Amino acid sequence: MVSRPAARFAHLAGLVLVFAFAMFPFYWMVSSSFKDQADLLASPPMWLFEPTIKHYAEIWADQKVTAAIVNSLIVAVSTTALAVLLGTPAAYALARFEFRGKSDLWFWFISNRMISPIVLALPVYLLAQSLGLLDTHLVLILIYLTFNLPIVVWICTDQFRSIPPELEQAARLEGAKQFDVFWRIYLPLGLPGVAVSAIFSFIFSWNELLYALVLTRRNVQTAPVAATSFMSGYELPWGKIMATGTVIVLPVTIFALIVSRHMIRGLTMGATK
Amino acid sequence: MSFLKLEKIVKRFGDATVIDHVDITAERGEFVVFVGPSGCGKSTLLRMVAGLEEVSEGDIYLDGANVTDTEPASRQVSMVFQSYALFPHMSVHDNISFGLRMAKTPREEIDRRVAEAARILQIENLLQRKPRQLSGGQRQRVAIGRAIVRNPKLFLFDEPLSNLDAELRSQMRVEIARLHRDLGVTMVYVTHDQVEAMTLADRIVVLRAGKVEQIGSPADLYERPDNIFVAGFIGSPKMNFLKASVAAVNGGAVTVRHPALADDLTLPTRHAPTVQPGEDVVLGLRPEHLSVGDGGAARLALRGEFAESLGATSQLYAQTGNGETLILQVPGRRSLAAGEDIRAGFDPAQAYLFDGAGRAI
Ligand SMILES: Nc1ncnc2c1ncn2[C@@H]1O[C@H](COP(=O)(O)OP(=O)(O)OP(=O)(O)O)[C@@H](O)[C@H]1O
Ligand SMILES: [Mg+2]
Repeated sequence: MVSRPAARFAHLAGLVLVFAFAMFPFYWMVSSSFKDQADLLASPPMWLFEPTIKHYAEIWADQKVTAAIVNSLIVAVSTTALAVLLGTPAAYALARFEFRGKSDLWFWFISNRMISPIVLALPVYLLAQSLGLLDTHLVLILIYLTFNLPIVVWICTDQFRSIPPELEQAARLEGAKQFDVFWRIYLPLGLPGVAVSAIFSFIFSWNELLYALVLTRRNVQTAPVAATSFMSGYELPWGKIMATGTVIVLPVTIFALIVSRHMIRGLTMGATK
Repeated sequence: MSFLKLEKIVKRFGDATVIDHVDITAERGEFVVFVGPSGCGKSTLLRMVAGLEEVSEGDIYLDGANVTDTEPASRQVSMVFQSYALFPHMSVHDNISFGLRMAKTPREEIDRRVAEAARILQIENLLQRKPRQLSGGQRQRVAIGRAIVRNPKLFLFDEPLSNLDAELRSQMRVEIARLHRDLGVTMVYVTHDQVEAMTLADRIVVLRAGKVEQIGSPADLYERPDNIFVAGFIGSPKMNFLKASVAAVNGGAVTVRHPALADDLTLPTRHAPTVQPGEDVVLGLRPEHLSVGDGGAARLALRGEFAESLGATSQLYAQTGNGETLILQVPGRRSLAAGEDIRAGFDPAQAYLFDGAGRAI
């Protein structure tokens, strides 16, 4: 048998290893964003260097990147808000009501995610063009919504199903209307699921590249599109790419950290028994 | 018209008839208990009164109005669920005041009534806690608090004590009885524990497989059970049943014969006897009506098996010559050697008789 301190050490070492493996690329990106071009290309790589913020100054000066980040924020926040706003009531209905065509509807939600996005790229482009929606925030919000809504509905339906039905019945007997039940019982108790699906939705909208490339031009370029636009010419501007990468990752990280507070388990503990 | 009236209620789930033409009434202020074995439809019946379950056939009247199709929220009934069903994300105060807040009651009024309910249930110091920070008994009180705070017309309890340990259960039982006395409201209470039924009820409804077996006061059911099922269900330990045969029928009396009986036993019948000489009947004897020795006018010859002492009383297990087991409940501590011959006595007036179909005669 392994002694306790030894087991603890092995556990700790394992954690450190996983942490290092997961975080190293991230560290490399952030640290590279503070190196100048010569240090960046040095071989062997430089661990200690004179930090510089000139890449950040550069992307700040370059209207394109800041504008792209604002565009991304508008699109990701709107999509996520809409997906949660529309998806949670749908999830409540799917979780707790019996109605005709329920299972068909359910399958339809799932099947939306089965199609490879590239298959739809051209039809969607033509549709957007004839509707005059190309290069607008709206077209991205709408198309991302079609991808995010099923995720929100799935996760939240599952979450809402796990809430004891007696809670709803008790609320009904206490005089709560349909909306009160949803708002005061299901939403707060389903918060972990709502939070997870909101994070998924935000990350997806924030990172999406294909439709952003196809459907936008100069006005509504999103951050991933802006980042790829550096990859042309003879010499890659590594520092600028890394700085842009860091700036792009930041909002998602902050959003995920804020929302993950709600991803706790056992929220319904104490309801029954 | 009765305060609460269930008229020819039928409930079907798909093809299965779970409640089959049930008629029940409750007067204002009455404490009515539904008892019956697991799965007999007690909860379903209660949930139909609450409006949580649709009625397949029949009508429900509450306080003079037909509420069969009324929304649960508009029926002004409160229910305490078996699982408590507290809102886990709300404090005790918010749980109790939920209904008042839904009804847009003014704040001061809410605080006053919550404080009053908390005082009655002795949970004043718990108002800021969340349900998960409470013990089972405290959760039960909060669930009751949520029910009483709105002054409903009718209280429904679905096995509210079944999750509690024995001591807490008897304590809460007394508190519910006190609550009923103090508030004077009508209560319908579901349990499969006949002790709760006997101690709490003004009127007991015994259900079996979706049908009413008998309705009556605890004393009625104990003294005059309509059939073998009710006789076996009410009373603890359970009534002893002996297979006897009819020796003679004489106007309003039946004489029965059983090998363990010293003499043929003649019992008065409740109705004109429907049995014929030679027919099989069942003789019912309550354990507490049997004594050891020469007491009582009727005698049984038994062979002892073993004894269980409960302190104040002992339960003696004994067998008749043809292998039927009887329980005798006698005062004090008494030991019993296996195989010991015992003579048991009882008063014929306290014996019950059932025909082959299980109906009391
Ligand atoms: N939603 C449902 N669908 C189908 N059958 C049901 C449903 N609810 C209850 N039943 C059936 O109805 C019968 C009565 O159930 P009910 O819950 O009323 O019993 P109960 O007397 O309360 O039992 P217990 O003492 O175990 O709580 C059972 O046979 C049960 O299987
Ligand atoms: Mg039940």
